[in-house]
Amino acid sequence: MSPVIATLWLINVTLDTGGQLAFKAAASDPLAGDGMARWRYMARRPWIWLGILAYVTHLLSWIAFLSLVDLSQGVLLASINIVAIMIAGRLLFREKLTPLRVGGILLVSAGVAIVGLSG
Amino acid sequence: MKTWRFYFAGFAMLLAFDTVVQLSFKLTGQHAFPPEANAAWVMRVFGHPWIYLALVGYVGNFFTWMSLLKHAPIGPAFAASHLDVVTVMLASAWLFHEALTPMRLLGAGVIMLGIICLAFAEKASHPAHDAPTEAKGALGVMAGD
Repeated sequence: MSPVIATLWLINVTLDTGGQLAFKAAASDPLAGDGMARWRYMARRPWIWLGILAYVTHLLSWIAFLSLVDLSQGVLLASINIVAIMIAGRLLFREKLTPLRVGGILLVSAGVAIVGLSG
Repeated sequence: MKTWRFYFAGFAMLLAFDTVVQLSFKLTGQHAFPPEANAAWVMRVFGHPWIYLALVGYVGNFFTWMSLLKHAPIGPAFAASHLDVVTVMLASAWLFHEALTPMRLLGAGVIMLGIICLAFAEKASHPAHDAPTEAKGALGVMAGD
């Protein structure tokens, strides 16, 4: 893997993980309330906008990444994002990682990789 | 049990939106074929209804995802959202006659097995109405509690 591809991949994982964590931070704030008030509350705080910004830049980094590697290789590396987000959820949101949860997440990640490898 | 229904309905909606988005993009590309770096191609992209259906799907996906994340833990939820790989694969075989190779079907089977595990994991971890606990824990971390 060339340094450019490795860097783009790192940027891709970071933006994907960071964006999802920002969405989670926005969505799970218990002070946000319910219904329309909840959406207004979220719109006034930075998390949801950070998430959207990360999502859009992630899309651009993904397109750049895919222009340098085969799609199957790209999907293979993207399946690692699933595991990265699991670990980040554990560290930042204290999400319980029961054996059944870890097993399920690893199976989904492996399945996505297999579909990617099939070309 | 309320949490269980909330997850089931939420993920079913998310799956529907995701699938519509991917199929609409494919149809957009087909109707705008061949791709060119010019205004004519952009006109073709926006000249058919598919791109607008994709955008509606994107917006629906966003609001569904943000609603789900109110309670759903991000790790398992993000993994579960990949069930769209399976539905898009099956829909593409039907609509676009894409090949369902043994390898792709194997991958789809492994994804579904993983999601069954995640469903059982949530069923086991939410015996009562304890969904907000995880959300409170999340804020505790954010506030440095």
